[in-house]
Amino acid sequence: MNSTNEGASASHSSAAIKASLKKRYARERRFQWYGRMAVLTGFVFLLVLLVDIVGKGYPAFTQQYIRVTVDFSAEQLGVAPGASEEQLAAANYLGVIKNSLRAMFPEVDSRKEKRQLYRLVSVGAEYQLRDMLLADPQLLGQTREVWLQAHSEAGSYLKGQVSAASAEADRKVKDVQMAWLDQLRAQGRTESRFNTTFFTAGDSREPEMAGIKVALYGSFFTLLVTFLIAFPIGVSAAVYLEEFAPRNRLTDLIEININNLAAVPSIVFGLLGLAVFINFFELPRSAPLVGGIVLSLMTLPTIIITSRAAIQSVSPSIREAALGVGASKLQTVFHHVLPVAMPGILTGSIIGMAQALGESAPLLMIGMVAFIMDVPAGVTDPATVLPVQIYLWADSPERGFTEKTSAAIMVLMGFLIVMNALAIYLRKRFELK
Amino acid sequence: MDTGRQQEAAAAGAQAREPLDIRDHGSVGDAYQTIGAPFVDDAKMSARHVNVYYGEKHAITDVSLDIGRNEVIAMIGPSGCGKSTFLRTLNRMNDIIPICRVEGQFYLDGEDIYSQDQDTVLLRARVGMVFQKPNPFPKSIYENVAYGPRIHGLAHNKAEMDEIVESSLRRAGLFEEVKDQLDKPGTGLSGGQQQRLCIARAIAVSPEVILMDEPCSALDPIATARIEELIDELKDNYTIAIVTHSMQQAARVSQRTAYFHLGKLIEVGDTKQIFTMPEHELTENYITGRFG
Amino acid sequence: MDNNMKLDEHTSQRYNAELEAVRNRVLTMGGLVEKQCRQALQALLKGDAELASEVDGADYEVNDLEIEISDRCTEILARRQPAAGDLRMIVAVIRMVSNLERIGDEAAKIGRKARKLADARDRQAYAGESVHLGEGVLQMLHGALDAFARLDVQAAVEIISRDLEIDREFKSLNRLLISHMMEQPQRVKNMLRVNSCARALERIGDHAVNLCEEVVYLVRGADVRHLSAEEIKRHHQ
Repeated sequence: MNSTNEGASASHSSAAIKASLKKRYARERRFQWYGRMAVLTGFVFLLVLLVDIVGKGYPAFTQQYIRVTVDFSAEQLGVAPGASEEQLAAANYLGVIKNSLRAMFPEVDSRKEKRQLYRLVSVGAEYQLRDMLLADPQLLGQTREVWLQAHSEAGSYLKGQVSAASAEADRKVKDVQMAWLDQLRAQGRTESRFNTTFFTAGDSREPEMAGIKVALYGSFFTLLVTFLIAFPIGVSAAVYLEEFAPRNRLTDLIEININNLAAVPSIVFGLLGLAVFINFFELPRSAPLVGGIVLSLMTLPTIIITSRAAIQSVSPSIREAALGVGASKLQTVFHHVLPVAMPGILTGSIIGMAQALGESAPLLMIGMVAFIMDVPAGVTDPATVLPVQIYLWADSPERGFTEKTSAAIMVLMGFLIVMNALAIYLRKRFELK
Repeated sequence: MDTGRQQEAAAAGAQAREPLDIRDHGSVGDAYQTIGAPFVDDAKMSARHVNVYYGEKHAITDVSLDIGRNEVIAMIGPSGCGKSTFLRTLNRMNDIIPICRVEGQFYLDGEDIYSQDQDTVLLRARVGMVFQKPNPFPKSIYENVAYGPRIHGLAHNKAEMDEIVESSLRRAGLFEEVKDQLDKPGTGLSGGQQQRLCIARAIAVSPEVILMDEPCSALDPIATARIEELIDELKDNYTIAIVTHSMQQAARVSQRTAYFHLGKLIEVGDTKQIFTMPEHELTENYITGRFG
Repeated sequence: MDNNMKLDEHTSQRYNAELEAVRNRVLTMGGLVEKQCRQALQALLKGDAELASEVDGADYEVNDLEIEISDRCTEILARRQPAAGDLRMIVAVIRMVSNLERIGDEAAKIGRKARKLADARDRQAYAGESVHLGEGVLQMLHGALDAFARLDVQAAVEIISRDLEIDREFKSLNRLLISHMMEQPQRVKNMLRVNSCARALERIGDHAVNLCEEVVYLVRGADVRHLSAEEIKRHHQ
């Protein structure tokens, strides 16, 4: 009697559990779907962004050239035969190019059309010829076929970015220019090459002559300064706070302030840099040195916080083991705690550095936004950095800069990926030991 | 007839029927007297009137105890009884805990180890420690053993260091098992091997006393048996104090046993005496499994 | 009561039950043995051959209990690793059951002799001589078992000291029997039977002393075997 009752209640409760199971599983499935949707949404946005940037940016990695027959005669250049280097440098290369172009299209005679004809090749073409002649003075008096860089507007037509279908008023490449370019293409006088200028030149007003070299060097020097300042100071501060500092109100206050500092808007650091380092200490404007100092101030809290977390996560048993064999506090920290915490510290530091690499606002405040053509040779030379260069180009009206902007973003992202990969590699490598 | 006697027997046995709680048994009072023989003639280490506080908490109350030369003394007692805390005062491992305050006198061969001019680094070289969880450094087996001698400058060249490493591993009964993989990480060994590596590491700095804080609690019975065997061999050259949760282990490895209860040293005596005829009710209750 | 023996209050309830069961079985065995002895003595005094056979036959029950209790003790040793009071309890019980079993053997021996003596015509003349000795021994055995039940060291020591009395009693009975034999040589055979009953009773007294010594060990942890009653008294009363 008793046992049947128990059996009945048992089967009753298992029925209740079964009934609720369905609901529970349904809830779990629903939650999984929400999660998947969230991930998918994020992924779609990322994909759209990437496709947009790569789609816009990839043409910037090619450059169009036009083959022109150049007559390097002394007469054309307006110098005497056997002229000195200085004279050659000051020769009339623009005239030579104009003559050559006119020779290819003899039917052009109106002033307006001539101007459009000259605009087929880049403004930089005359410097290209000058460099050629200076490198090889024997060319004087000879006639050569030379590949000249196309003007960015002509180039965008050759790349197929502009079509004749749109109204002539809406585009910079005129119908006549299109006809000439088609003619040149038919004669095999046009060519598309990999854009080395993009990586070897500084900024320029002409899109086809603009490159990111200055920004790359600037970013490198800035990050170098940031790393050299922020890493040792940050790790030392973390070690001191975690291992040596007494726990009292002062250290609590310091800890709170460090945490708050990590949340301060980066532009504030820029203002600080402007006021303290440039105005008070009179360090050079636009220099990677100041930029690096400012960014290291911004990165320090990140490095300190992640390093402290990494040091905290080192098992106390390691410390006890070291102290147990008679190691001093300092030996314990440097021989055992830091090596174990190093992967975490490095990861945190590299992520902090990656943040610094992508930062532009504080650098705008200290003048790293200037137009700089010369590659910096050191940390005190004026320079710009990649994000600021992107900001500058994104502001430029010329259509050639649109693709440069996207291309620079791609380079920046490439560096971020490399830095994160480095962080992962270092972590794995240290963890193996 | 016999049922009558059984009733009598039941009455004789039943003094308190309520289930025992350890807290009900802490009625020793602050001014208590340790039962048994806390002092020995030939003491390696002596502790007198030790009080330890963790902040407000009084963790150890007036403990006085001698650790005899070349003996294994086991410290047993329920969790939180202060046995580990007491062990750690013996090589000043409690110094690293900021809120911990230690009072009382401690002597190692008659030398005050809490005096101003006692260097903790030297003390810990003389009084080594093996911990509950095997905690080899995340370095090679060789480096684990060589680390102590290196920081203390005990070896003058590579050959001497090799010698120290080998003899330490040998004495810890590990050398034959690891001689071909001295450059492999110590963390790759099995739990029992790791603990023997930790013992080798402690031996390598030639300590006089080895403190062991539940050295076998993370090990399987066979690894435990090997460590116990090792403790037995080591006692010829070292003085060993071991804290253990396993009463059987205390009974197996030690010559003397000390029973701690809520921060007080209740009873000390020969291990045989403690495990067959303890004098104090609390000791009896603990070792017969009546609480804890 | 001067002891602190407690068999219950273990964290493990089952352990309590196991120890309790061992103790109860020992008391059951003790009761059985005591009954056997009482009956054997009765059979001897009254010449009751039937009762005598019954005593002899009851021995297997005691033997079974001995094996059962030893088995339980072995199991507790293996599974619980008893310590202190529990350990002494188990050790004492193992020794006590073998003593009890021998008491049972002695009782059976008396039973066998009693059966032989039951038919003797002149039994009344000499069987009565062992009454005094028999009652004394029975009291000792009873007291020993009571002392074990109550874990009463005082009582146990008291009983140990009574053994001297029993020895004296036994010796005087022997002298009596010898004089009987010299007077009436035709009775020598029966006299020898009575003598072996008396010897058995004396042995039972010795075993009762052993039981008491185990009680002292159990409560005080001191091994008092092979000490004189005087010494035991000095130390444990």
